[in-house]
Amino acid sequence: MNDFYIILTACLVAINCAIMGSFLVMRKMVMIGDAISHAVLPGIFFAYIISGSTSSLPILIGAASSGILATIIIEWFTQKARLQSDASIGVSYTLLFAIGIILISKFGANADIDQQCVLYGELEYVSLWLEPIIGDFYLPRQTLILGVVCIIIVLAVTWGYKGLFITTFDPNFSISTGIAIGFWHYFLMSGVSLTTVVSFESVGAILVIAFLSGPPAIAYLLTGNFKKMLVLACAFGILCSIVGYYLAKLLDVSVAGAISAVIGAIFTIVFVITSSQKSKIDVISD
Amino acid sequence: MAIPIIEAHNLTVLYGRKPAIWNIDFKLPEGQVIGIMGPNGSGKSTLLKSIMGVVTPTTGYTKVYDQELNQVRHKVSYVPQRQEIDWDFPASVWDIVSMGRFHVRGLFKRLTSEDNDIIQESLEKVNMLGFAKRQISQLSGGQQQRVFLARAIAQQGELFLMDEPFAGVDIATEEMIVDLLKEMKGQGKTLVIVHHDLHTAQSYFDHLVLMNTRLVACGKTSDVFTDQILTDTYGGKLTTISKISQELENKEFPIRHQ
Ligand SMILES: Nc1ncnc2c1ncn2[C@@H]1O[C@H](COP(=O)(O)OP(=O)(O)OP(=O)(O)O)[C@@H](O)[C@H]1O
Ligand SMILES: [Mg+2]
Repeated sequence: MNDFYIILTACLVAINCAIMGSFLVMRKMVMIGDAISHAVLPGIFFAYIISGSTSSLPILIGAASSGILATIIIEWFTQKARLQSDASIGVSYTLLFAIGIILISKFGANADIDQQCVLYGELEYVSLWLEPIIGDFYLPRQTLILGVVCIIIVLAVTWGYKGLFITTFDPNFSISTGIAIGFWHYFLMSGVSLTTVVSFESVGAILVIAFLSGPPAIAYLLTGNFKKMLVLACAFGILCSIVGYYLAKLLDVSVAGAISAVIGAIFTIVFVITSSQKSKIDVISD
Repeated sequence: MAIPIIEAHNLTVLYGRKPAIWNIDFKLPEGQVIGIMGPNGSGKSTLLKSIMGVVTPTTGYTKVYDQELNQVRHKVSYVPQRQEIDWDFPASVWDIVSMGRFHVRGLFKRLTSEDNDIIQESLEKVNMLGFAKRQISQLSGGQQQRVFLARAIAQQGELFLMDEPFAGVDIATEEMIVDLLKEMKGQGKTLVIVHHDLHTAQSYFDHLVLMNTRLVACGKTSDVFTDQILTDTYGGKLTTISKISQELENKEFPIRHQ
């Protein structure tokens, strides 16, 4: 059962990240996932201080709002200070991360925040907290949360597909037709924030970035159709999770590490194959 | 002039501290083909963007049909400069042209069969129907340009602002686009076109805006396409300008007597 829990958890993270990551890759801002996963620290701290508990919900809300705050600051630096977007991302999240570290090291001695876990996650221990679902069927709490977020993400992207698509492809044209691109930016960023926050607790920041960028990049190499890219990215995310898990078992290494390595390996293989082909359409035809 | 279709008042746009356009005032007439010309970096794209609300002016304002742009947005189509888009985006020609219908139906409704007909017609007009399923990364520069035009046509507007529709297209495509523009003018549409080629300016445009960060001249082509104004716009003595002004003197372009 433990195998199943771990694989299911990894797959749910993979799907959430693949969908959000496909939009981020096309907007050339995938590192925002990295930024959010670090910038959540002050939010977690304040949620802990205010609620006095380390239970999931307040922490989750604190983390997610601090993630969204990070995207607002990044957007502000980019728009108002006319800073390049990668520079704004770097400046904003290191600042928020540093504030978080200072707050926690000064006032949060007994706060249940482990920096190792922030970076590398604890996928192996996901089944420590089980919640009953129906009868004898249990799911890890983390998996359950990821499942709910996955449903939210899929519904939200289906609902807002056109808006996300047009503002990603051609923001200036979108403005010219009266579309509020700011709304769609923060709509996407809320999804990314939610995904990152619930994901990095189980798989760690590094695997979140690997999932956000790797499977969408693989899918991008294989298709010229954005909807297919979304589906393929999910499929590759799932494939990498399963292969990575058994590789980790075989070699007795960290699951998150093995999955990241598999993502990198598959990307390289697909890249070598596609770059020897004439065009994308030859690989996946209608 | 009757009610001007576009007017700019004291329009200034700064990027940081650097002005891209400085204190521009003009009025443009309806139903004509209007050229916007000036050297690279003279603020032509910025001017179109500020009319379309893509950049916010630092000072001044523009009006379209004597109204706020938001009141008449459905009548106005914008064709961005081709280089501003990532043409490796995983999308087909059809996907791009259908964007011209998004704001008509709203973002949350499916496109109707009427929309599909309009998209198809627009592609036909620019001779790209055969490429509808083609992925946009596999288009030539001229084909990309025609896809952008088709998207604008699909919007079914009255006023078209086009940023360099002739950049990087071959002669055949250029002629095709010119014919299309003439047809649109015949239907009473107004076309505002950023253009670089001084040789074709006189035959393409009824009206010209010449700018170099500041406005140099705005008026009927026959009035403003002069040696002096071109030199003021492009600075110094360009050989092209002197050649063209010589042609002007020698050949007496028919347009001067219109
Ligand atoms: N987003 C931006 N940020 C900073 N400066 C910009 C930006 N866009 C344009 N500029 C600057 O503003 C000036 C005007 O640019 P604009 O693109 O409007 O010129 P243009 O006349 O369209 O030039 P081209 O003929 O090369 O298309 C240029 O000096 C350019 O460097
Ligand atoms: Mg330009």
